[in-house]
Amino acid sequence: MVKTVFATLACLVLYGILIVPFTEYLHNRPFDEKMGYIPSVTALRIVAADHKELVAASLVSKVLMYFGGLSVKNENDILPILPDYKRMSGILHGAVKLDPYNMDAYYFAQSFLTWDVKQYKLANDLLDYGMKYRTWDWMLPFFAGFNSAYFMKDYPKAAEYYKRAGELSGSELHFSLAGRYMQESGQTELAISYLSAMEKGERNPAVKKNYQIRLSAFKEAHRIELARDKYRQERKAEPATVEQLVRAGYLTPAPVDPYGGTFYLTPDGKVATTSKFAFGGKKDNSQNDGESHERN
Amino acid sequence: MKTIVAITLKGIFRDKVFQGIMVTALMFLFIPIFASLSMRQVTELTITLSLSLISFILLLLSVFLGGTSLWKDIERRYTFSVLGLPLSRRSYLLGRFGGTALFVIIAASVLGIAAFCVVAYSSSIYPSDRPIVWGSMILCILFDALKYILLIAFAFLLSTVSTSFFLPVFGTIAMFVTGGVTQQVYEYIHSPASKTLSPFLKQTATALYYIIPNFGAFDLKLYAIYGLPLPANGLLMTSAYFVVYVGLLLSVSSSIFTRREMR
Amino acid sequence: MNAIETVSLSKQFTGKKRARVEALKQLDLQVAPGEVFGFLGPNGAGKSTTIKLIMGLLRPTSGSASIMGMDVAQAASRRVVGFLPENPAFYDYLSAEEYIRFVGSQFNMDASLLNRRTEEVLKRLDLWEARKRQMRGYSKGMVQRVGLAQTLVHDPEVYILDEPMSGLDPIGRALVKEIILDLKKRGKCVFFSTHITDDVEKVCDRVGVIVQGQLRALDSVENIMRSGIEGYLVQTRQHVGNQAALQEFKAIRSNEQFVEYLVPVAQFQEFMALVGESSVEITLLETKRRDLEAFFLDIVENGKSA
Repeated sequence: MVKTVFATLACLVLYGILIVPFTEYLHNRPFDEKMGYIPSVTALRIVAADHKELVAASLVSKVLMYFGGLSVKNENDILPILPDYKRMSGILHGAVKLDPYNMDAYYFAQSFLTWDVKQYKLANDLLDYGMKYRTWDWMLPFFAGFNSAYFMKDYPKAAEYYKRAGELSGSELHFSLAGRYMQESGQTELAISYLSAMEKGERNPAVKKNYQIRLSAFKEAHRIELARDKYRQERKAEPATVEQLVRAGYLTPAPVDPYGGTFYLTPDGKVATTSKFAFGGKKDNSQNDGESHERN
Repeated sequence: MKTIVAITLKGIFRDKVFQGIMVTALMFLFIPIFASLSMRQVTELTITLSLSLISFILLLLSVFLGGTSLWKDIERRYTFSVLGLPLSRRSYLLGRFGGTALFVIIAASVLGIAAFCVVAYSSSIYPSDRPIVWGSMILCILFDALKYILLIAFAFLLSTVSTSFFLPVFGTIAMFVTGGVTQQVYEYIHSPASKTLSPFLKQTATALYYIIPNFGAFDLKLYAIYGLPLPANGLLMTSAYFVVYVGLLLSVSSSIFTRREMR
Repeated sequence: MNAIETVSLSKQFTGKKRARVEALKQLDLQVAPGEVFGFLGPNGAGKSTTIKLIMGLLRPTSGSASIMGMDVAQAASRRVVGFLPENPAFYDYLSAEEYIRFVGSQFNMDASLLNRRTEEVLKRLDLWEARKRQMRGYSKGMVQRVGLAQTLVHDPEVYILDEPMSGLDPIGRALVKEIILDLKKRGKCVFFSTHITDDVEKVCDRVGVIVQGQLRALDSVENIMRSGIEGYLVQTRQHVGNQAALQEFKAIRSNEQFVEYLVPVAQFQEFMALVGESSVEITLLETKRRDLEAFFLDIVENGKSA
């Protein structure tokens, strides 16, 4: 009896000693490890049996947790870690193969595939796939329309998507968006309104934060655009640089790119930033099959 | 037979299986918390998790109750005393099966009610874009229960030929997994992608497809989660499939059991 | 019509390495209604196999069996039987009362009769106090008594009891004997197996002895007892009459008071005649017989050598 009590106490003490470093270890494990090994979709389909929807949801949540954990970490870090977007995208693609109706997957994929990874084609293919299933959902064509117009400059396609979104939502806004995207001017404003709407409806803190950063970057860009237009109007000349606008008092305070880049004016007078509106944008962000990311 | 059904149910309840289910069902309480992590489909995720939890519990029930019911009776020598009564082996087997199946239905109903509460709660906090089709959820749980009853019939078949519980329990699990993918395998071997496979393999796989129960047909989760219109015709055929397949399994089981020697 | 009848009933088991084991060979047996039949045999002789064949738990390799003229392959043949398996086990999550009721319901007893009979048999087997408790808490003897109670509840014509005394204390055994005798009085047929000869001697009308799957002896207990008489022990008073007249019979004991002789059955008449002539005084006359145990052991020994 005494022996048993002693053994139990010894084990409890050992557990107490072990649990702190153990938790520490798990907490500090590299993120990539945390996302873990994901078996192939075919294998998952077999193992998932009649829980495909559950497995899909757990894949999405895995990616979300990973992304959320990373964004918290980045807040306290000087050098932000770039999320492994490629794997995130791969897992989300797997998720919609298991459950083609999973909105979280489309929604989340849309949030990073375009702005951060510049995989516009991939994003729209995914949305097209989703539209085959979520036939009632206006959001998918709404996203696809935005991607087509804003990133791919495919205005007829964008109009088509927006028309569909309008039909599904019954909202006049989507129909009118279809028209507005026909022209390049005013895109920053529209991006701001798109982002504001997305940010407002977002409950996931990590994704919301993502939208907020992007939104603030665009608001800054918009501020520069307004200053540039005022400069043109008053001085009847083109400003050469952003600094010129600041010095001339058109732009106070000086614009700050939340992605860490520097705003500049392109030779044709458009507003651009060295960050290309993404973290790590100063480096070459690979797999860039989209076109240039300069803003007017 | 009715009394055997009653005795079986009594046994399951007295073995505190129901309490076990209720403890597992406490996980329902965590579903709304977990589902709130979803960005765009809290209600859908709540339904997914609830249905999967129910499905999981029913799977455990059918594997363990179905796989051990007859085995336990033989192992504990209950069969000698019961089969010495003027009771045919067939009605004994059917009674045992009926009791187990009935328990699955009861468990599914209780868990279903719990799921409804959780979904109603979740959707009241985060209103859903999609309408919640309660009827589809009921049908989904019902067909889930049917699927596991079919699995129980299979477990009984294995029990009638086996003297240990390994074959019934592991055989049932294997059958559950296999029965879940037969449709995919069938579609694969009938697609151009399978050109390289040998014709013999294809024929074997096709033959197996017709023999092994097709559990995929009973899965209505997608319809229930996303409120998709249910295919009435398909459901009718699935019900008919259920009746015929269970009838087949039970008649084979009872003819084997009738011939079985009680040593 | 026989209560129980077997015709060339045989059973082979396929043992390890496909070896065939003949558990029962060509058993022909008729047990009449109202008869108490003891089925004797050492462990593993085939008693339980026979009973399982009669109860339809095993299927005969060849031959047939019937109860009250109905083939045992039909479940209906068991309508008239109360069956107690060897070392019985019953759904241990039920109470004795629930189980007895369950058994009664299987015999389609009507509710009021079942109520009355359940109470009767539970009281008779001293289970009344424990009737509401789940059987998983019962002792071995209690389970055995439940087993007997469930054979009695529907008051059948035929009782087939496999080792009814096993697991019982002396009080329990006495109770079982009493019950069997009572059934006999009421004209019921009781077929029971045992390896304890004493049980048979007290209650049976007839006995069958089975050794290594073969019926070696089948006779009434009365006949066995009679054939078991080896002779008579005759005690005579010493120094009375002419003891010398009896000298051809060897005295087995002699003291100051008595002289004892063991007289074989065949010579008993002659001996008694001599006693009359010689005026020897008989003080005690005892039948000397081999008991059933010895009879049984003999058969087992012979059966094994055969």
